[in-house]
Amino acid sequence: MSRFFRGGDDSSSESSSDEEDLYSGSEAEENEKIEQEESSDAAEEEVEAAEESDSDADQKKKGLSRFLVDQDSSESEESDSEITAKVKSAKDKRFDELEATITGIQNGQKINDWGSISNEFDKLNRQVTKLQDGGKAPKIYIKCIAELEDFMNETLAKQKVTPKKMNATNARGLNAVKQRIKKNNKDYQEQIDAFRKDSDDFMESDEEEVPAPKATKVRFQDMIAADEAEEDDGGFATVGKGGRALLFTPESIFKHLRTIVESRGKKNTDRLEQIKIMEKLGEVAVTPYQKIRVLMTLISARFDLGSGGAASMPLEHWKAAERELFLLLRILETEKDHIIIEGADEWDDDDKPPVLEQGQKYIRIPGSIVSFIERLDDELTRSLQSIDPHTSEYIERLTDEGSLYNIIFKGLLYYEMLRKDASLEVPQESLNRIIQRRLDHVYFKPAQVVKILEENCWKEVPSDVDSTITPRTESVDAGHLINVLCNYLFANSDGIIRARAMLCQIYFLALHDQYYRARDMMLTSHLQESIAQFDITSQILYNRTLVQVGLCAFRKGLVYDAQNTLQEICGSGRQKELLAQGVMIQRFNQVSPEQERLEKQRQLPFHMHINLELLECVYLTCSMLLEIPLLAQTGSSPDVKKRVISKTYRRMLEYHERQIFTGPPENTRDHVMQASKALAAGEWKKATLFVHSIKIWDLMPNTEDIKTMLAKQIQEEGLRTYLFTYAPFYDTLSIESLSTMFQLDSRKVSAVVSKMISHEELAAALDQVTETVIFRKGVELSRLQSLALTLSDKASALIETNERTLEQRTQGSANAFNRKDGRGGNRGGGQRGGRGGSRTGGNAQRQAGGTQFTGGALGAAVRG
Amino acid sequence: MASDAPPASNGEASIDSYDLMPKLAANLDRHMVFPLLEFTASQLVDEESNAVKDEKKMREITQAKYELLKKTDMTDYVANLYCELEGLKEPPVEFADKKQKVFSQLEKYEQETAKITELLQRDDVINNLRSDKVANLEFLKREHEVTIEMVDALYDFGNLQYSCGNYADASEVLHRFRVLSTDNDKVAYATWGRLACETLTMNWESAMEEVQKVRESIDSRLANNPLAQLEHRTALIHWALFPLFNFEKAREPILELFFNAGFINTIQANCPWILRYLAVAVITGRGRSKNQGIQQKQMKDIVRIVKRESYEYQDPVTRFVHALCVDFDFEEAQHQLVLAEEVLRRDFFLLGTADDFVDAARHLIFESYCKIHSRITLKDLSARLGLNKEDAEKWIVNLIRDTRLDAKIDYQEGTVVMNHPPSSVYQQVIERTKGGFFRTQVLSAAVAR
Repeated sequence: MSRFFRGGDDSSSESSSDEEDLYSGSEAEENEKIEQEESSDAAEEEVEAAEESDSDADQKKKGLSRFLVDQDSSESEESDSEITAKVKSAKDKRFDELEATITGIQNGQKINDWGSISNEFDKLNRQVTKLQDGGKAPKIYIKCIAELEDFMNETLAKQKVTPKKMNATNARGLNAVKQRIKKNNKDYQEQIDAFRKDSDDFMESDEEEVPAPKATKVRFQDMIAADEAEEDDGGFATVGKGGRALLFTPESIFKHLRTIVESRGKKNTDRLEQIKIMEKLGEVAVTPYQKIRVLMTLISARFDLGSGGAASMPLEHWKAAERELFLLLRILETEKDHIIIEGADEWDDDDKPPVLEQGQKYIRIPGSIVSFIERLDDELTRSLQSIDPHTSEYIERLTDEGSLYNIIFKGLLYYEMLRKDASLEVPQESLNRIIQRRLDHVYFKPAQVVKILEENCWKEVPSDVDSTITPRTESVDAGHLINVLCNYLFANSDGIIRARAMLCQIYFLALHDQYYRARDMMLTSHLQESIAQFDITSQILYNRTLVQVGLCAFRKGLVYDAQNTLQEICGSGRQKELLAQGVMIQRFNQVSPEQERLEKQRQLPFHMHINLELLECVYLTCSMLLEIPLLAQTGSSPDVKKRVISKTYRRMLEYHERQIFTGPPENTRDHVMQASKALAAGEWKKATLFVHSIKIWDLMPNTEDIKTMLAKQIQEEGLRTYLFTYAPFYDTLSIESLSTMFQLDSRKVSAVVSKMISHEELAAALDQVTETVIFRKGVELSRLQSLALTLSDKASALIETNERTLEQRTQGSANAFNRKDGRGGNRGGGQRGGRGGSRTGGNAQRQAGGTQFTGGALGAAVRG
Repeated sequence: MASDAPPASNGEASIDSYDLMPKLAANLDRHMVFPLLEFTASQLVDEESNAVKDEKKMREITQAKYELLKKTDMTDYVANLYCELEGLKEPPVEFADKKQKVFSQLEKYEQETAKITELLQRDDVINNLRSDKVANLEFLKREHEVTIEMVDALYDFGNLQYSCGNYADASEVLHRFRVLSTDNDKVAYATWGRLACETLTMNWESAMEEVQKVRESIDSRLANNPLAQLEHRTALIHWALFPLFNFEKAREPILELFFNAGFINTIQANCPWILRYLAVAVITGRGRSKNQGIQQKQMKDIVRIVKRESYEYQDPVTRFVHALCVDFDFEEAQHQLVLAEEVLRRDFFLLGTADDFVDAARHLIFESYCKIHSRITLKDLSARLGLNKEDAEKWIVNLIRDTRLDAKIDYQEGTVVMNHPPSSVYQQVIERTKGGFFRTQVLSAAVAR
């Protein structure tokens, strides 16, 4: 049917411009068609006839004006009829639109096109919200929806008896309308009833009455004040400028609140004005109930200011909201019989406030403290995001965090109090959320800062109050506090909150140099496997934690671990993005504004940042210490596979080497690169000098220790590099001279050499009598030999791949490969050993493990 | 059970601080702790004069024994201990009361279970039993009026027997219970109970069976409860120490058990002190194991784990491993070996293996020494091995002969000269491609199928 209708439409564009004619023409066709169809079904005909006559009556009632208006909306210039002769206000225009929509619906009804009815109905509801005022909808709207409901019921009834199915679009439209109309009509039930009782009367008073309801509404803007000035009589005076002070009596508070709540979220409500009113109301509120209600509405109204768009809440309002929340919590603290709880029943009676009834312990007020706190926290973050971090304004704003923390803490105490009463059934989740917020504010801070925060918030609460989760005595020590909070969350929550708590604790441990605990927790959490399924903020937290663990390892002098940990983040070259500390400039693919906005929202405030330059410096230094000996090793023997630890570092090094003139180092990267060059040449002293002159080390605690550690590492790696590089040119080297050359203990030198020999990195042996290193000759392979080795490696790799593929295909059912499983295990062990045992020993281990018959490092010695 | 253990750190000697008693005791059953306490007490007694060296400590141990056994039903022994502690001649009345109670309980259970016991000894009944437990129970119910309560009484009876110290009987009763019961939890507990009984009666063969059963139940039954799995594994690891160092055949399966991924993780996470036992077991296992490859792999693993856990747990044994295989610091290794020997001699489990360990450790030192050096002075080597020059020479000669080491002693210079032939490239290529043909054949056969 809809196709048919569309066809009619098409013809309309072709035919003459007289729309009216066309309309009736197509309608007539339409009706015929319907009748044809329905004649087959006798039962329906009656209904249809009734309906038709009904709509005919409508047509008559509305008569000329409807078509005129219709015409007018399309060709408004020509029209000079009575109604449109008026200067059109915005409202009138809306009315016209409304009528057009209604016509659309009626047309849809005629042809039984539910798809278009559904669309038009949506449009209608949207339009009517703009037009309706004080809860009174325009008459024609009422009429329309009443009729629509009737029609719908008919259609449904018809649907039941006809075997014929509606087409999919129609059925869907019908369903949609059915669902919506029930909900919608409930709101207008009264008016609909009135309409049904006496439709003519109802409609007659149409034109005059439409503006009338406007008079009763309470509005605070004067956009259409001119219109209203003449008409209004009673309602507007309630908020008239003169009488205002008088009218705010304690009794009227709830009425005011209700109107404010109702206008919330609508267009054109002046929030600032409302806030002012509520502030006044707050002054006159007497009973705790009134105070609580006013404060709650006020706080949410303030939050509304910040909603929408990227704009954050104005500063003074944030402060005010913070104060009010504080006040609210204080009232709740003193008035123990009032509680705010989620899911309490709304108290509808504005005239008399609820009183404590017999057997009731509390007056329950619906609301959620935890949401307020979360919102307040989010708003602070947003405002910090938008402030330039290098201004004093930022620091000023940051001081508000202290008071926010106090509020979080008080909120926590409040929830703990509520939890004590089991009858209230406060959900565990709210408590978890608030603890998570508290944790979010402490986990990245040094212990001293946390201590100050804690001291301040304990000062605020009376000395007889104590927290069950974090008792006063427990929270003195920051580490202990974190532990307590996290353990609580481990025990009482699951999913993301639990994972986040874990990450926060790891972060804190890593920040406080407890590397092993942090690492163990990181490993036992198994988060690296599941982190990809979490939301982006948690992933950012994970990245931050990972980086912090890496930095901690570096401070401990564990270069290998540090490099390994940082590799994932720093090796990607997208540190900024991964740590949410800046937006990357997208070069190739365009991001939509929406994505960009989201990304901006995720950015961390500056005070939470991890210094990226320091991070890069640590990463590059670690990479240098690992890569330079490796480069020397691979350089000397051609058969060693080209293993790369850090691609980023390699690239930088290559770039650096390509430069023709290298000036004195300027930035961190230059320093590390020049140090690398010096180290590769065996000039460890120079390398140390370069690394030590990097300024950013000063940001680390215990700078001197770190420098000493680095110097020691450079000495050792320098020795290794030297041995790798110059081994082919010596027969023997005296330990003594090596020890003086690198200013290392001769015991240390021999330990390093021993290690290298043992891991088969160096073809040499120690001579204890003469205290020398004797290099074995004839170990350098010819080109043919090394190629043969490579070939054999590749061949066995090929076999292995084949086996694995087959195994996958057969789902491991081919038991012919049992043999291979053992091998695989063996090999895995060997590799793991290599990775854990030595940095560069992986190669030798691999060979040993990979060939199965050599029997490992010790076996080689025994076999001789 | 922490109070059961005697206070370990009196600050007398550094060796005492390596006493693992408190840590072990926490993970063992109280009946199993008892032999450990006995051992500690025996160490205090001078072997020749039979005089107690340290009265105070002796008393502490007696006190600990008393605390330990107070909760068990070995009333006579507890009463004696109490007398000893308080210096009384006659035990107080409550002990007699308790004894009476225990006896009556025993009797009660005995009656309750008499029927089942009797049934299970009859051939016609046994022959009718099948592998299906539920069906068995049905059968017994139908034919002989056995009830679930009676089966459960068996469990309680076994428990009481064990508590009284009648381990052999308890084991028997629990075995019967396990045959009949369908309650999986109780069966698991009964398995633990049997393991304890067999261990305490030094019945190692069946103890090993029980170890395997417990392991299976941990792996399967607790698969979705990681915490319980961890705790049970920890306990099993500790319990398995008894057979590991007392029964030669148990060595390989238990080492295999310990190196199983789940168990090695448990050791690392929950009880790193086990590393001492593990290291000793692996090192002493040199040459004894049939499969050299496994032994070498285990050695590698232990080195890796010792290195990783060094921040958390250190004692002379692990430090020896670390010094020798990670740092290649032979002096330090030698120093730690001396300490380790002493620690071993004070350890309940390791006392018997101390000599083996020292010997094997010397081998280990020598091996890595030879691998790295091409010429070693005999004098220095003998110092490293902790032997005098003649002994060292003899020892080295033996070693060269036994292991076919490519080394010679130059007596004139007083050196050992090692010959390290570089592994030939051709050999390497041959080895790498050795299995290729066979594997390809298998592969093509599999594809053809």
